[in-house]
Amino acid sequence: MAGLNLERRIVVVFVGLVVLVMGLILLLVQRSGERIVAVESQRQLAAGQTSFESLVAQNQRQLELAATVLSRDFSFREAIATQDRPTMISVLQNHGSRIGARAMMALALDGRVIADIQQQQKPGDAFAFAELLAAAEAAGQASDIVRMADGRMYQVVVVPILAPVRIAWIVMGFPIDHAWATSLARTSGLDISLVNAAGSRMLASSLPESRHAVLLQAMAGETGLSREVTLDGDHFQGIALPLGQQARVILLHSLEKSEAVFKELERSLLFTASGGIVLLVFGSLWLARHIAGPINALAATARRIEAGDYSQPVVVQSQDEIGQLAASFEGMRVGIASRESKITRLAYEDALTGLPNRVRIEERLASLGDTAEAALVVLDLDRFAAINDALGHPVGDQLLRQVGARLVQQLPPGAMLARLWGDEFAFLLEDMARPAVVDFAESLRVALQTPMDLEGQRLDVNGSLGIAFYPADGTDLNALLQRAELAMYEAKRRQSGYMLAEQVGPGPLPEHLSLIGEMRDALDKREFILHYQPKLDLASGRVTGAEALLRWQHPQRGLVAPARFIPFAESTGFIREITPWLLEAVVAQTAAWRAQGFELVVSANLSARDLLDPGLVAWVRELVTGHALPPAALCLEITESALMEDPALAQAHLQALADFGVKLSIDDYGAGQASLAYVKSLPVHELKIDQSFIRTLADSPKDVAIVQSTITLGHALGLAVVAEGIETEADLAWLAANGCDVGQGYFIARPMAADALCDWMNGRRAQAG
Amino acid sequence: MNAFAWVRPLLATLVCFSLFEAAAAAVDVQVRLPAGEPVEDVAVILEPVSGRVPLPKKTARIEQVDREFVPYLSIVQKGTSVQFPNRDRIKHHVYSFSPTKTFEIKLYAGQPAKPVLFDKPGEVVLGCNIHDWMEAHVLVVDTPWFGKTALNGTARIEGVPAGRYRLWVWHPRQKAAASVQALTLGATTVRADFVLDVAPQPLRFKPPAGPKSY
Repeated sequence: MAGLNLERRIVVVFVGLVVLVMGLILLLVQRSGERIVAVESQRQLAAGQTSFESLVAQNQRQLELAATVLSRDFSFREAIATQDRPTMISVLQNHGSRIGARAMMALALDGRVIADIQQQQKPGDAFAFAELLAAAEAAGQASDIVRMADGRMYQVVVVPILAPVRIAWIVMGFPIDHAWATSLARTSGLDISLVNAAGSRMLASSLPESRHAVLLQAMAGETGLSREVTLDGDHFQGIALPLGQQARVILLHSLEKSEAVFKELERSLLFTASGGIVLLVFGSLWLARHIAGPINALAATARRIEAGDYSQPVVVQSQDEIGQLAASFEGMRVGIASRESKITRLAYEDALTGLPNRVRIEERLASLGDTAEAALVVLDLDRFAAINDALGHPVGDQLLRQVGARLVQQLPPGAMLARLWGDEFAFLLEDMARPAVVDFAESLRVALQTPMDLEGQRLDVNGSLGIAFYPADGTDLNALLQRAELAMYEAKRRQSGYMLAEQVGPGPLPEHLSLIGEMRDALDKREFILHYQPKLDLASGRVTGAEALLRWQHPQRGLVAPARFIPFAESTGFIREITPWLLEAVVAQTAAWRAQGFELVVSANLSARDLLDPGLVAWVRELVTGHALPPAALCLEITESALMEDPALAQAHLQALADFGVKLSIDDYGAGQASLAYVKSLPVHELKIDQSFIRTLADSPKDVAIVQSTITLGHALGLAVVAEGIETEADLAWLAANGCDVGQGYFIARPMAADALCDWMNGRRAQAG
Repeated sequence: MNAFAWVRPLLATLVCFSLFEAAAAAVDVQVRLPAGEPVEDVAVILEPVSGRVPLPKKTARIEQVDREFVPYLSIVQKGTSVQFPNRDRIKHHVYSFSPTKTFEIKLYAGQPAKPVLFDKPGEVVLGCNIHDWMEAHVLVVDTPWFGKTALNGTARIEGVPAGRYRLWVWHPRQKAAASVQALTLGATTVRADFVLDVAPQPLRFKPPAGPKSY
C-alpha cells in the first residue's frame, strides 16, 4: 500500500505540475490571443477603414475620370449640343452604359434638368442636388454619394460638357448596391454594409441578408466608434462611418482569421500538452515503479524479517541509492539471521553439551496437544559433585558432555533430550507406552554402566531416574519436573535406579498452598515462637546447651505441631523465609543468656535448602559478629538427607561455617544413607543419633548395638555424640554409662520458652547448689 | 443673345441705310473691369440705327498656331467667310456646336479646302476636338463697324459715317452684358467708356509641345 502511495504520489506530483504549467500556458495563450486578436482586429479594422476610404476616393476619382472622359467624347458632346431631347436621352443611355452609370442626366447650365434617362426628374425641374452642382461649378466637377428619387444610393458625379466652353452638365450616377459592397469588400478585406444616415435601414451589404437586422441593431447609434459584433456566432470588429450626407457605411473586420491562428495555436498546444501529459504519466509511472518497486521489495523483505523469516536474500539489481540500500539491507538481514540463530541457540541450547535446554523442553511440552501422552524422564548423576570436586570442573564438564553424547545415542525417534541444569538431564518421550518408558529407563541405566573414559581415567557413573507422565502427573513442565524429580530423589534415596512419580506420590497438595499463606501471615504476626530444649552434658550433669525448636502458636488452631508444617515449609522452600528469623532470634537469645550468665551453646536446625543457600555463610557470620557472640556458641544441626541433596555444596558451606567457628551437628543420624566415610569428610563436631533408636533402646537389642557402635564410631571420628528423645531414667543412665556425651529429651526437660528455660536452669542450679 | 442675333440684321436693313453717305467719324472705346483694369479682347460693335450696312467684302482668318486658335476672338460681319489655316505640323479638328454656326472641319492640315461662311449674326464658340484647351470665339455681327480692345483696353472704330448708332461691347467671358450706348456720330471722334465684368480665363491643361514631334 505504501508503495502504491509512493507511486501515485510521484505520478500525481509530476503530472499535476505539468498540467498546472500547461494549463497556465494555455490560459496565457488564450488570454494573450484574445488581447492580440482584439488589438490586431482594431488595427486591421483601422487599416481596412483607411483602405476602404481610399478605395471609395479612388473609386470616386475613377468615376469622375470616366465621366470626364465620357463628357469629352466628341459625338456625345455633339449629341448633347443638338439640344434634341430624344437624341440626348439616347446618347445618355448609350454612353452611360459604356461606363456603367445607371443614372444619367443632362442639366442646363442654370441647373435645370434637360434630360434624365430614368425619368426621375422631369425636364425643367431644378436638379435635386443643388449643393453638388454648386460644388461642381466651383471645382469644375463634383461627386457625392446620394440617395436619388428612386430611393437607391448612387455615387453621383457631375461633370460639365465643354464645347469647349461649358454648355451643359452631365450627372452620372453609379449604383451603390450589393455588387459595389461585395467588390469593395473583396478589395478591402472587410465586410461592407451601407445603411441610411439614421442607421436604421440596410441599403447594400456584402453580408448575407440574414445578418442585416442583427448588424443594424448592433451598430446603431454613434458613428466612428469601433465595437465588437457577433453575427450568428462569428465575431467581428465593426465601425460605422458617415458616407456622404445621406448614408453611413458599416465596416466589419472578421476576427475569424486572427482567432483561427490562436485557435490553431491552442489546438496544437493542447495536443502537445495532452501528448506530454500522457508521456509524463507513463514516464513517471515507470520512474515511480522503478523507485517504488525495489522499495516494495525491500518492504516485503522487511516484513518477512519482521515475521522472523530470514531465509530469503534481498535481491535488488540496481546501482543507485536503492541498490545500496538493498545491499545494506541484505547485510542487515544476514547479520540479524546469524545473530538470531546464535541467540536462539543460546536460548534453546545448553552451551556445554549442545543439547536442548530447559526452555526448549518446556516449549516442546507446551506444544503438546490435550490428547497427547508423554513421559518426562529425569536423570541425575549419582555422586557427580564428588567427582567434580575430586577431579575439577573441567573434568566434570567433560563428563557431562560424554554423558550427554551417550544419552543422545539412546534417544528414541521423536524424543527430546535436554540438559536441565548441573548433572540433571531430562527426556521427553511422546506417545510411548508405560512399559516401554520403563524399559527405556532401564536401557539408560545399562548404557551408563559402561565406564566413561575421561582423559585416560575410567570412571563409573550411575544415575537415578524419576519418571512422570503427561498429563497424569502434571500438565506443565514445572509440575511434571517436580514430580519426576521427587521420584528421582526418592530413587536416589532408595538407590533403586528409577522411580515412577505415582509411586512417590504427589508433592504439596493444593491445600498446602493456603498453608504457605498462613505461614507467611504467621511470620508477620509473630505467631512463630521458639522453644528451647536443654541439652545435658551426661558426664558432668550440667546443662551445656539447648536446641531451639520452632513452634507455631496459631490463633485458631492453637499450638501447631512441628511435624505438621516444618516438612511442608521445607518442601515448598518457605523454610528459607523462616530460617533467617529463626537464626536471628536464636543468636539474640543466646547473646541475652550469655549476658545473664548462662553460657549455653544453642542449636538451630537447618534444612537442606538453607544449607544450599549461597548466602548462608555470610549471613551467619554477620549475625554472630553483629551480636558479639563467639561463633562456637552457635550450633547448626543438619540432617543427613539435607547433606545428601548436594553433598558438594553442602560440604563447601559446612566447611566455611566450620572455618568461621560455628559448631556443626549431624541431626537424625542413622535415619539416612550418609555413610560414616562421608561424615568423616565433613567438618562437623557432633552426631545426633536419631531418636527412633533411642526410644526403642530399652526394647531392641539391635538398636542398643547400633547406638553403642555409633557412639564408639563418633568418638573415633572425634565427634561428640548426642542422644535425643530420652524419655526414661533408664535410657539416660544407659547412655551416660555407654559414653554418650550429651542427652536431650523429655526426661531431662521438655522444650520450653526462653524465660522458662532461665527459671528451669536457675531451679536446677538451686537444686544442685 | 440669340434673340438679338435674329433681330439685328433686320433692323440694320430697315433703319440704317439713310446715314450711309454722311462724313466719316471715329469712335474711341475704353473698356475697363469694375476694378479699373483695362480689358483686352472685348468686341466693340457699332450698329447703325438705320440698319443699313454695306455688304461684307472681305474674308477673315482664324489660324491654329502652336495648338492655339489665333486670334482668340474674331468679330466678323455676317456673310463673311472664315478660313482656318493650320500652321501647326499636327492636325486639328475644328468644330462648333454653337447654333449660330455649327460646323466641323475634321482632322486636317494646312489650308482647309473651303472657308466657313458665317451667315447668321451671333456667337460661335470654336474648339478643337483633339485639343481640349483650344478655344476661340467668333462674334458674327450685322455691321462692318466694329473693333477689338487691345491690351490697354482701348479700341478705335474709324471711317464710320455720321449718323445715329448703337454702341455695345461683348466679351466671351463677360458676366453680364453691358448696356448699349446710343451714339450720334458727326465728323468728330467720339469717345465711349464701358465697364465690363469679365471672368478670368480658366486655367486649362495644355501639355507642353514635344520637340517638333507633333
